[in-house]
Amino acid sequence: MYSDIEKAIVNLNYFTEGDYREKVVRLRKMLKEGISEKDIKSKKSDKLFAFLEKKNYFAVTIASSDYPEALKATDEAPLVLFGAGNRELLKKRKFCIVGSRITPSWAEAVTKRISGELSETFTIVTGLAEGGDRAAIDGAIGSGNLITVLPCGLDVCYPAAHYALKDKIEKSGLLLSEYFFGEQARSYSFHARNRILAGLAEGVLVVSAGARSGTSITAGKALDYGRDVFALPYNVGVRQGEGCNALLKKGATLVTDSEDILSYYGVQKKKRVSVLLSAEEEKVLNVLREEGELHTAVIAERTGLKIYEATAALSSLEIKNLAVKAGGNRYSAL
Amino acid sequence: MIAKIICFALNGLDGVPVEVEADVNKGVPSYEMVGLPDTAVKESKERVRSALKNSGLLFPMNRITINFAPADLKKQGASFDLAIAVSLLKASEQLVGANVSDTVFLGELSLNGDLRPVNGLLPILISAKGRGYQKFIVPVGNAREASFLGGAEIYPAVSLTDVVKHLIGIKPILPLETTEFVAGAKGNYSADLKFVKGQPMARRALEIAVAGGHNLLMAGPPGTGKTMLARCLPTVMPDLTFEEALEITKIHSVAGTLGEEGIVTTRPFRTPHHTATTVSMCGGGNRVVHPGEISLAHGGVLFLDELPEYKRSTLEALRQPLEDGKITVSRAGGSYTYPSRFMLCASMNPCPCGNYGSANQTCTCTPSEIRNYRKKISGPLLDRIDLQVEVDNVTYDELTSRERAESSAEVKARVDEARKIQRARFGDYGIVTNAEMGEREISAFCALSEEGDKILRETFEKMHLSARARARIVKVARTIADLDFSENILPKHVYEAASYRLYDKLS
Repeated sequence: MYSDIEKAIVNLNYFTEGDYREKVVRLRKMLKEGISEKDIKSKKSDKLFAFLEKKNYFAVTIASSDYPEALKATDEAPLVLFGAGNRELLKKRKFCIVGSRITPSWAEAVTKRISGELSETFTIVTGLAEGGDRAAIDGAIGSGNLITVLPCGLDVCYPAAHYALKDKIEKSGLLLSEYFFGEQARSYSFHARNRILAGLAEGVLVVSAGARSGTSITAGKALDYGRDVFALPYNVGVRQGEGCNALLKKGATLVTDSEDILSYYGVQKKKRVSVLLSAEEEKVLNVLREEGELHTAVIAERTGLKIYEATAALSSLEIKNLAVKAGGNRYSAL
Repeated sequence: MIAKIICFALNGLDGVPVEVEADVNKGVPSYEMVGLPDTAVKESKERVRSALKNSGLLFPMNRITINFAPADLKKQGASFDLAIAVSLLKASEQLVGANVSDTVFLGELSLNGDLRPVNGLLPILISAKGRGYQKFIVPVGNAREASFLGGAEIYPAVSLTDVVKHLIGIKPILPLETTEFVAGAKGNYSADLKFVKGQPMARRALEIAVAGGHNLLMAGPPGTGKTMLARCLPTVMPDLTFEEALEITKIHSVAGTLGEEGIVTTRPFRTPHHTATTVSMCGGGNRVVHPGEISLAHGGVLFLDELPEYKRSTLEALRQPLEDGKITVSRAGGSYTYPSRFMLCASMNPCPCGNYGSANQTCTCTPSEIRNYRKKISGPLLDRIDLQVEVDNVTYDELTSRERAESSAEVKARVDEARKIQRARFGDYGIVTNAEMGEREISAFCALSEEGDKILRETFEKMHLSARARARIVKVARTIADLDFSENILPKHVYEAASYRLYDKLS
């Protein structure tokens, strides 16, 4: 199962005294120079690995054959990643989608759709937070091509409300963490986690980001690592979009559709099945496409429909994934 | 000599006959009461003594025993005063020649002999009439309420002297003329939909809710007119029938909240504050079990403003009455069942800061904060609210033309039509509105076309709906179809119904 050197790395990483950062530096140096036979022999304790097996967890070390190459190439790569779920996903092409916790409804809907369409080609990498991350998860979880990187031990759930969701990901996708079991999420562990998100993926799509948000850190790391950065565009003055627009200014690729990303990587997008629309739905959709986010009453007026006809048409468009409700009875087209 | 007088005691909403027996005997003067009288009844001793003296009548200086039968029923309240006084007069032979055996006496006495009105008179009269009693002497203060009974001789008396003069035939009291019941006689609700600016979606939801008897939840930022909309609910509800009015009046009569009009002619609108206790909501009390807010709202609207602020236990207590349309309150003194078929209308802010979905303010809440706020309302309760609609604070500057706001009367006309369709449909099923449909009725009357069924399935997948939510959507779709005069439920009806399950989307 695990080679002696893998065991030694895990044990040296988590079971030796001293400052974690110093330990990592020392280990890195040791790895470069080659770990001595003596170290390997003294550090190949099996205790932890029995535990991992019992819990259906696994550890992948920088010396393992399936350690993701892209991540390994960064100089901040974690030496050990604990995983739960489908290990095969590590070898697949990966694309990262991140967003802040407060993401507008339309962006969540767009993210979910893009994530779903990308997950046919890529394994989607994201976090477990509300908002943007959640939308990416919702889009990709059906296909199972989903990796979620946690800022805490694999057995800890943050946010706690996503406990069931985390379980579901473990069953169909893959959970990863560099933290030891039982370790709680701390403010700095989110920053550290973000480097793994960026490191794993070929490209990063930022779906929402305030001026100073954790999402910007992921994007910054992605730039450092030379990853492709994509962003959704926002209206001027929308706070949750300031970070996205700043990225676009710096040269990120503007994304409104999964095709923008797929064609960037030279992948042909599958044709979306066209849906049959009634005359009312057609009218409503056209108004939405022309004017952007609108209030139901305004839509009814513009289309000349009765308010309840407009409500029914909007509800139908929402179910057909062509429009999204933004709260306050406002809708926008997708 | 012994005299027997019939009086009635109140047991919940029913009158129970009580015989008041007086025995005036020779012996050392004394004045005893037996037969489980409570404090208020015992205190009538002194009121009756003074009232007799001050009416120029004789208080017998003998050995007096008053007995209340049946002896095992606890007698409460002051409505026995008149019966005690009359029984004493009869027993002491001051009412020679008067026939008092078939007359029911009700009323509280004041020290000068005047009769004071009592609570719960109408329920007593209804029960007594049902038991075959035809003659009643009641306080003049209850005359208005009593005049709606009809088919009985009811004599309103001002004082004990009046009663005596009437009984011995010196000066008979004229029986009350029956007052004709006119629904909405007072006729003016202060609210009207024509004063509500904008809010077309909420207005529509309100119309559907009333048409099908569904419960309604309005979510929206502060100051968007949720309360005003709710106040319009009774104005679009169907007129009260006499039977309904009597039933509602009984409750209000027992609670002592009946106005001068003597009968409830408009649908009640109750707005208990969110500090309300479970007992005040459902009914209770240690001696007399009072009807709670849900019973006072019977036949009308119970409006719970700021729903998440209510105590969880209080809200949960509403679940069973919402389903059964009645509540049984059990206390040491016995069990009392009060009807509680009301329409629940609740309002809440969409999030803790109140600005979620607001047009001009930014919401500062995180998704988890919003979720926790909404979690304060339990799923089972939310499941019983068929329509959930957002009320927004749009200024409508975006609108170029301004449609005239419809008045309550116009909406009510459509509601009445929809109700008529429902009555015809449910003739033999013992229900009146779509909201009351059970599984049996749904499968009988809510057959969906193949396309409609497909839409529903899509909706469930998208919104992660429970089976119960499915039934609710179908019921609302049925009401929308009724408003549309459509015999079948069409896809557009299902779509519109699905848009009113706002909070199912937040899993």
